Amino acid sequence: MAKKRVESGRGRKAGSVKSAKQPTNRAFYLVVALIAIVGIGALGYLTSRPKQTQTVAYDPTLPKVESQGYVMGSPSAPIEVTEFGDFECPQCGRFATLTEPDVRARLVNTGVIRWRYIDFPLEMHRNTWNASIAAACADEQGKFWEMHDAIYNAQDQWDGEATSNPDKVLKRIGEPIVPDKAKFDACIDEQRTKPKVQAHWQLATSRNLPGTPTFLIGDQQISEFLSYDDLKRIVDQKLAQMKASPAAPSADSAKGVKTPGE
Amino acid sequence: MTRRMWMALISLLGLFLGAYLTLYKFGKIGTLACGVSSCEQVQTSRWSVFLGLPVATWGLGFYALMLALSLLGMQERYAESRGLSLGMLLLAGWGALFTAWLNYLEAFVIHAWCEWCLFSAAMVLILFILALVDWRETRVAG
Repeated sequence: MAKKRVESGRGRKAGSVKSAKQPTNRAFYLVVALIAIVGIGALGYLTSRPKQTQTVAYDPTLPKVESQGYVMGSPSAPIEVTEFGDFECPQCGRFATLTEPDVRARLVNTGVIRWRYIDFPLEMHRNTWNASIAAACADEQGKFWEMHDAIYNAQDQWDGEATSNPDKVLKRIGEPIVPDKAKFDACIDEQRTKPKVQAHWQLATSRNLPGTPTFLIGDQQISEFLSYDDLKRIVDQKLAQMKASPAAPSADSAKGVKTPGE
Repeated sequence: MTRRMWMALISLLGLFLGAYLTLYKFGKIGTLACGVSSCEQVQTSRWSVFLGLPVATWGLGFYALMLALSLLGMQERYAESRGLSLGMLLLAGWGALFTAWLNYLEAFVIHAWCEWCLFSAAMVLILFILALVDWRETRVAG
C-alpha cells in the first residue's frame, strides 16, 4: 500500500515522483482557482442582484375570487389584495406575524386596500387542513381573523412537527377567542367546515399557484414572503397606474365588489 | 488526482454550498433555488439553527476546516502525517454523524427534504470514506 501511495504522487521518498507530480499539482490548483472564481462570482451575483419582488401578470381568464375566502376592510377600497395561505407554511407564518399587523394598520384600516384570505392547504403539511377547518369554525362565530392570527402565532404548537393531535391544540387556542366553545369544538370534531376549505383549496389549485404565500394584487401575482415595504411599493404602483389611466383600471377595481365575505 | 486533492475539491464545493445557504439564512439572498423539494420549509424550520448559529454556517465552518486540512495534507511535510489523517477522519466522522442526524430530522420530524442538504450529505459521506481510507493507509504506511 505504501508503494501505491508513492506512485500516486504523495510519497516523499522517490525523487522521480516529486518531479512527475508537479504538472498534476498545477492542474489541480488551476481547477481550484477556477471553482473559487466561479463560486465567488455566483455568490456575488446572488447577493448583489436587485431585490425587486418578482411579480407576474396572471391569466385574466381565470375565475374571479370575489365570492370566496375571508375579507377584511372596506368594500370601497380601490385595491383588493388576495392571499392564498397555508396555516402550516413557515413563510405564511412569518408574513402573518411580521408583515400583516402593519398592513392592517396602515393599508386596510385606512381604506387603501381590502384584504382577502383564501386557504391553500398544501399536501406536504400534515396538520394544515385541521387548522383551516378550525379557522373556518371560528368564522361561524364571526372570529375568523382572531383565530387566523392565533393559529399563525402558535404555529409551532400544532404543526406536523409538534403534534399528531392538532385538533386538541387548536381547540385550546380557540378557547379564549370563540364565544361558544361547545359549538366550536363540535364543529372541529364533525369537520363541519371542511367543504368550505375544500372549495378554497380547489380554487387555489385551479390557478396552478407555485406555492404559499401567493398574493394577487390587482392583476399581478407574487409568490413569496413580502415585507410591508415590498407590499406597499406594489400597492403604490397599482394606485399610480389606476390614477394614470382611470379608463383601464386594474382587474379588481373594474369588477367591483358586491359583498365582502362569503 | 490524489485522494487528498479530491477531498480538497469536494470541501471547496461544500464551502460554497455552505456560504450560499448561510447567506440565504441571513436574508442576503431572496429565495432559494429549489427544484423539486421543500428547501425553504427545511431551511426555515426550528431545526435549521444549532447552538445559536444556522446549521448552514456550521457546515460552512466544517468544509472550510476540511479544505484547510486537505490542502495541508497535500504538502510533502504532512503527506505521511498520521495526526493530520486522524484529524481529517475525526472531523469527517463528526460531519457524517451530524449530517445523519439532520437527515433523520428531515425524514421523520420535518417531513420535508431539501435537495441542497442531500447534496451536502452525499459530499460529507464521500469525504468520510476518503478520510477513512486515507487514515487506514497512513496507519499501514507508518
